[in-house]
Amino acid sequence: MNDWWWVSTLAFGIGLGTPLVFATLGEIITERAGILNLGVQGTMLVGAVAGFWATFNTGGGFGLFLGVIAAVIAGALISIIHAVLSITLRVSQIVSGLALTLFGTGLASFLGKAGADPLVGEPSRATFQPILEGGIAEWPLVGPLIFGHDILVYVGVLAAVATSYYLFHTRMGLSLRSVGEDPASAESAGINVARVRYIHVMVGGALSGLGGAYFALKIVPTWQDDPIGAAGWIAIALVILSSWRPYRALFVAYAFGFAQFLELRLQTLGEPWNSIPSTLLAMIPFILAIVAMIVVASGKRARQLGAPAALAIPYFREQR
Amino acid sequence: MTTRRLIVEPRGLASARLVVLVPVLSVLAALVLGAVFLALTGENPWTVYSKMVDAAFGDSRGISETLISATPLILTGVAAAVAFKMLVWNIGAEGQFLFGAIFAAGVGIWLGDGLPAIIALPLVILAGAVGGAFLASISAIPRVYLGTNEIITTLMLNFIALAFMNYLIFGSNSPWRDSAVSTFPQGRPLPDSGRIPEFFNRLDYGLFVAIALAVVAWVMIEKSRWGFEVRVVGDSANTARYAGIGVPRKILGVFLLSGAFAGLAGSLFVAGPVGALDPRSLDLNLGFTGIIVAALARLNPIAVVPVAVLMGALNNAGPSLQSIGVPPETVTMLQGAILVFAVAGEFFIANRVRRPDKETTVATTGEATA
Repeated sequence: MNDWWWVSTLAFGIGLGTPLVFATLGEIITERAGILNLGVQGTMLVGAVAGFWATFNTGGGFGLFLGVIAAVIAGALISIIHAVLSITLRVSQIVSGLALTLFGTGLASFLGKAGADPLVGEPSRATFQPILEGGIAEWPLVGPLIFGHDILVYVGVLAAVATSYYLFHTRMGLSLRSVGEDPASAESAGINVARVRYIHVMVGGALSGLGGAYFALKIVPTWQDDPIGAAGWIAIALVILSSWRPYRALFVAYAFGFAQFLELRLQTLGEPWNSIPSTLLAMIPFILAIVAMIVVASGKRARQLGAPAALAIPYFREQR
Repeated sequence: MTTRRLIVEPRGLASARLVVLVPVLSVLAALVLGAVFLALTGENPWTVYSKMVDAAFGDSRGISETLISATPLILTGVAAAVAFKMLVWNIGAEGQFLFGAIFAAGVGIWLGDGLPAIIALPLVILAGAVGGAFLASISAIPRVYLGTNEIITTLMLNFIALAFMNYLIFGSNSPWRDSAVSTFPQGRPLPDSGRIPEFFNRLDYGLFVAIALAVVAWVMIEKSRWGFEVRVVGDSANTARYAGIGVPRKILGVFLLSGAFAGLAGSLFVAGPVGALDPRSLDLNLGFTGIIVAALARLNPIAVVPVAVLMGALNNAGPSLQSIGVPPETVTMLQGAILVFAVAGEFFIANRVRRPDKETTVATTGEATA
């Protein structure tokens, strides 16, 4: 290994950014269909508790696989709440998403502490480990940056590639985008708007759930009440900062992972860095998000960036 | 035969009975859903719910603690109601509450014991309004003048406010921190002149201040010319522009007012039961719970008061569940479920759902055969 601190910082940033990659891609898919889902935070927590629980009750590599499956299913199922409220009942998507987050947060804490043998405080029975040890994983620079990760980091990259292909090069992706831009025209072209939106709210929920599980099975592998910090909220900002494009999502998610890791890293660097209180450093990602929002995505620029035209507008089929 | 779709039609003005009935049913539905999860994890829902009622209303101490929990929720509820009514998505009551607390504690400590309570206490409480409005302005000004999405900036500021409070107490030797205690960092107590007097167990007069402010909010929104213009903007910004209403200034005003209410929740809480900038007593999600209060109260500031008492009762009952081995988070889950059902209920208040009329079907068939 080399002792260039910034190389390992970047490498850890990729790790911390990976759950943001999943959640941001999920929210991009959902928003491209015209549905704003502020329930990402709650969905991630439900995915986290489901994934942790499944792995905890099985263990080993297969347990991790089951954990991922459980998180994906739980994320998709819990986000049906938002789909029903915002698509079928057509209430304000903002309030509906907040409802999902508050319910999901409460549910995850409750499930983590309920029952005769609560999960809280228990270490995970298996965690994701780097695929490669030694060899090219120890080459300078490229080793830790490119080859030293666990499988979900690579799955995250593949997910960005797949999402981009799906959105821009498949028929279903075209339907999805048309529903997000102009649902009335999509409907006249024979697309079932409600069905397309339901599916992609659930796909988005599945990816958020996976992102949550990565926290519980890798980043903080002991069940605690709040394993994901504010990742779900940050993902919603990242969707805008990535201008609804999957490859940029990868980039901004890693950048935010890096900003979060910096907080831990500065403490170990000696004077004068370690004299900055960690409570102030904790603000960095949030200040970054606000400044970026104001500079990059204010006013008409958000639309020019690629915001779906029908985003967050309830669609009344009968009132066309 | 083809499947008969249900017909959904806008209801126009909903009856008063429905407006009360739907939120009540939302709460009951949430309790049923909560009972399912409790039963699944091996608890007896009836035991749990009776324990909660007993803890929240069982004796005079329970009732006073319930009302103490309700006091800040009245104001964070009003904060959300005022903003959401005008489609200003201030999700930052959480942070504005904390900044209200920080400003109030700061002014209280700075004034010291030198001033009589009749002057000091109003200053401490008003400082909270300033603190809340200040934090809201960081989101409100870019929203109004640049068009920056306020949902994200208010959300992010919640975390910044929390980190800032932690910095004042855990990360620095600020005036907010009690220098007399070196074992574990905690907030410096406010002088007595900055504290609201108690009248019923630990319950203080802050409750009445909160109720009075809710009434003021209601009058401002429903009865004043300003409120009328605000409601026009909320219904349609274009209509408001044609009517010559200055939309940006209205949005800014509502945003800051909403922040001020959330900040007042913080100052009443600090000057009341907490008595210091104590992170553990303040980081209670009271801002987010205020959104639930506002939604269940259907954004009516007067209705916010009884709903805040209900949510305060739940918050107060949570910790008591530990004694029977049930996680206090049962309450968070129930509150989230209440919001889900309250939001769903809005659909049934706004729309009527019915089966297609038999007569129409018959009539059309008759026509076809004839």
